[in-house]
Amino acid sequence: MDENHGMRTLRLLTPILAAAWLALASSAAIGQSLPRFGAPDPHVKASLIAATDAAVPGQPLQVGLRLVHDKDWHTYWQVPGDSGLPTRIDWQLPAGMTAGPIEWPYPHRLPAGPLVNYGYDGDTLLLTTVQVPANLQPGTPVTLNGKAEWLECKDVCIPGSADVTLTLPVKSEANPSTQAALFTQARKLVPAALPGLTARSTIEADRIRLALDLPADRKAESLEFFPLEEARIEPAAAQVLNRRDGVSLYLTAAKPVKADAKSLAGVVVANGGPAKPGGWAAVVEAPLVAGVVSAPGTAAVGANAPTMSLVAALGAAFIGGLILNLMPCVFPVLSLKLIGLAQHRTHSGPMAAHGIAFAVGVILSFVLLAGLLIALQQAGSALGWGFQLQTPWVVASLTVLFFVIGLNLLGVFEFTFGSGLGNTRAADALVGKSDWRGSFGTGVLAVIVASPCTAPFMSAALGYAITQPAAIALSVFAMLGVGMAAPYLLLTLFPVLLAKLPRPGRWMELFKQFMAFPMFATCVWLMWVLAQQVDAGGVALALGVLVAVAFALWAVGLTQRGSTLFRWVALVGAVLAALTFAPLAMTEAGSSAKSSSSAGWIDYSPEKLAQLTGEGKVVFVDFTAAWCVTCQVNKRVALNTDKVVSRFAAEGIVRMKADWTNRDARITKALAEFGRNGVPLYVLYDASGKPTVLPEILTEGTILAALDRVKLASR
Amino acid sequence: MKLAAVLVAAVAASSSPVQAAAVPGQPAPDFRAADVNGRAVSLADFRGKTVVLEWNNPNCPFVQKHYTSGNMQSLQQRNTGSGVVWLAINSTTDSHSDYMAPAKLATWFADQKATPTAILMDTGGEIGRAYGAKVTPHMYVIDPKGTVIYAGAIDDKRTANPADVKTATNYVAAALADTRAGKPVASATSSAYGCTIKY
Repeated sequence: MDENHGMRTLRLLTPILAAAWLALASSAAIGQSLPRFGAPDPHVKASLIAATDAAVPGQPLQVGLRLVHDKDWHTYWQVPGDSGLPTRIDWQLPAGMTAGPIEWPYPHRLPAGPLVNYGYDGDTLLLTTVQVPANLQPGTPVTLNGKAEWLECKDVCIPGSADVTLTLPVKSEANPSTQAALFTQARKLVPAALPGLTARSTIEADRIRLALDLPADRKAESLEFFPLEEARIEPAAAQVLNRRDGVSLYLTAAKPVKADAKSLAGVVVANGGPAKPGGWAAVVEAPLVAGVVSAPGTAAVGANAPTMSLVAALGAAFIGGLILNLMPCVFPVLSLKLIGLAQHRTHSGPMAAHGIAFAVGVILSFVLLAGLLIALQQAGSALGWGFQLQTPWVVASLTVLFFVIGLNLLGVFEFTFGSGLGNTRAADALVGKSDWRGSFGTGVLAVIVASPCTAPFMSAALGYAITQPAAIALSVFAMLGVGMAAPYLLLTLFPVLLAKLPRPGRWMELFKQFMAFPMFATCVWLMWVLAQQVDAGGVALALGVLVAVAFALWAVGLTQRGSTLFRWVALVGAVLAALTFAPLAMTEAGSSAKSSSSAGWIDYSPEKLAQLTGEGKVVFVDFTAAWCVTCQVNKRVALNTDKVVSRFAAEGIVRMKADWTNRDARITKALAEFGRNGVPLYVLYDASGKPTVLPEILTEGTILAALDRVKLASR
Repeated sequence: MKLAAVLVAAVAASSSPVQAAAVPGQPAPDFRAADVNGRAVSLADFRGKTVVLEWNNPNCPFVQKHYTSGNMQSLQQRNTGSGVVWLAINSTTDSHSDYMAPAKLATWFADQKATPTAILMDTGGEIGRAYGAKVTPHMYVIDPKGTVIYAGAIDDKRTANPADVKTATNYVAAALADTRAGKPVASATSSAYGCTIKY
């Protein structure tokens, strides 16, 4: 860190600095202004220069205070940020001459531990325009005097000052001075209003969104905002750029929030500023109105967590993908894949192909899903992750799919393609396409069933992705896929590891048959989800489809064993299944959805929540969905245990349930405000209305500890 | 270019910003810390009294401004004399060259003839972060009910020049006078100035 850098040198310097300060202090005590800092060497050298070689009566004279900083030392901008002081010039000018304010170049962010300041390092020119009176007589030179004062800082700060002076001849005409080039360069760095640039800003609590409409010839790949007033935005808070529709920069207001502010003025610096190719800077003054500012994708609101960077998001997505493998709705499918791997273990060649095909299947599916999600999001649908399971026909189709897989595992019929083949077929598959197709299919299937399981890390990454340009969103999703596929890819690329797996044998056939039961269990869960979305008739229809499908597949199986007679029976079964399915496909979700709020829970609404927190009530909100397995597990092991329930009751905490089983735009929006795009999400609002986000996997302990903290805070 | 910006953002995000803050009108975050004599001091001990928090770093020219001019000492003396609790807090991390060990810090205060109620070591920076203290001297006033009534600078002359003390409006003195008179504090916030706290 910066703090430790050069620490040893500083230790040596400390006595010298202390002595210097003592000198400074004693001279200051007699009421003198600060002397120029003598020892050690000043870290900033100041001089006064002019753009022209003479002053011309009646014409503005461009002068500048040049500050040359030693390496690692800096001085401050007009608004210095968390600490620091702006550089000042007190002018003593000949009669009739007046100096304008400093025309500040755009500043840089200067992090100091957890704080951020705004300022300059290197070679900086602070421009000032001096008005030269028209009645000045050419011939007699003029002398401009100024006392410059600044604060120079590295990891220690020293007030600096210098008496600067500049004598120029007075002529009727002037030529560029030897330093004119410095002025040309410096002028480019001074931001001004940009024609065609309009800005407006919205504030909600301490969240500010600055929305910019850029002129056609300007781009903003990156954007920084520097406030022109102090105590308006939190300098150290991450600024998040969202370029989904237009250009929006998310800022954090300084506390206490100035509620009466009507505008937000500042300098925006794009693409690294005018010093960089494609970079620019401009002064903006945006009207500020109260409104809704959803979080741009923060990991956790209550914890003051910094906004996720791309690197962190990709990392989290990878880990989330890994964890997905262990989720109850994914594991059975992947166990199937493992059986496949074990079957092919003697052939190391195609195994890598298996792994790669599987990985490609997983990654492509994630990217496709993300693409679809982005497309839908942009179409304005209030949809979120897991949305596939909010449509009854999708749930019913998945039920049929899992049922079919179960029947296949039990041996009712054989897939005549794919990886579920016996050992003999696998040898043939060495060169065949069917093998990698099967692996690819397993990958795709794994993703489809994984979608409702928003594992820890995953939803934060998703929330991040959804606020980003499509390319970043897609790469985050692809990373989820990489994480999910990684263990399998590893096993296939390093078959040595596979040697640790047991040898093939009869156990495999039995295990394969046994795996049918997790499939059927999944069907039960899906039917339960469906039951939340449609009425009893709908459920009966879905079960009817399963019977017809079972009948058809039984016939298929017999046909495969040589009884050609059953071919037409299979066809009849298939037609029956399709006919039964048709009315189900037309059922809209929620047409007869039941309110499933259980005892002690009230249904979520933003108004009700605002009212309760306004009354100083502690509120726990459970964002959940019937199809979210993690949610159900949390309910069992943590939310509905006697200990937790009695604690909620004893402290009069209001429990709210936001049920996202069916599409609900208001819940989708509430999730987005926490940077989330899926459930579960648990939020505890304390008496002052401040939200704390709890982890996605709950235990009794986590809840009780969170309640303790809230109790402590409200005391 | 873009990648570099992302990496910079990642690094910036990895050190969590000081964003928690003690805001006037809200309860003051409680804390417990050892003073320079190793005695445990907690804010809750002083419920019922007005408390002033002064963020201190003897090596900071802005802190020196208020000590060499005698400004801070006279504020401390006048107010602790009338029952106000004055806590000087040093949040400098021990790996920074500005760090002073408790005994050394105590000696510095004694040499300055300063009379805070206690001098607290916040080497880990927990109290500083909880209050959102950013500079030395960053000043807070807490009323007897434990509510923050002032947060910000010591005065309105944002310089390191001790001579400016005489002409400055002292916000802390004003806040203490207002609360003593039973009035709400007229200016409850200001932008603190000084040296960055070495967290």
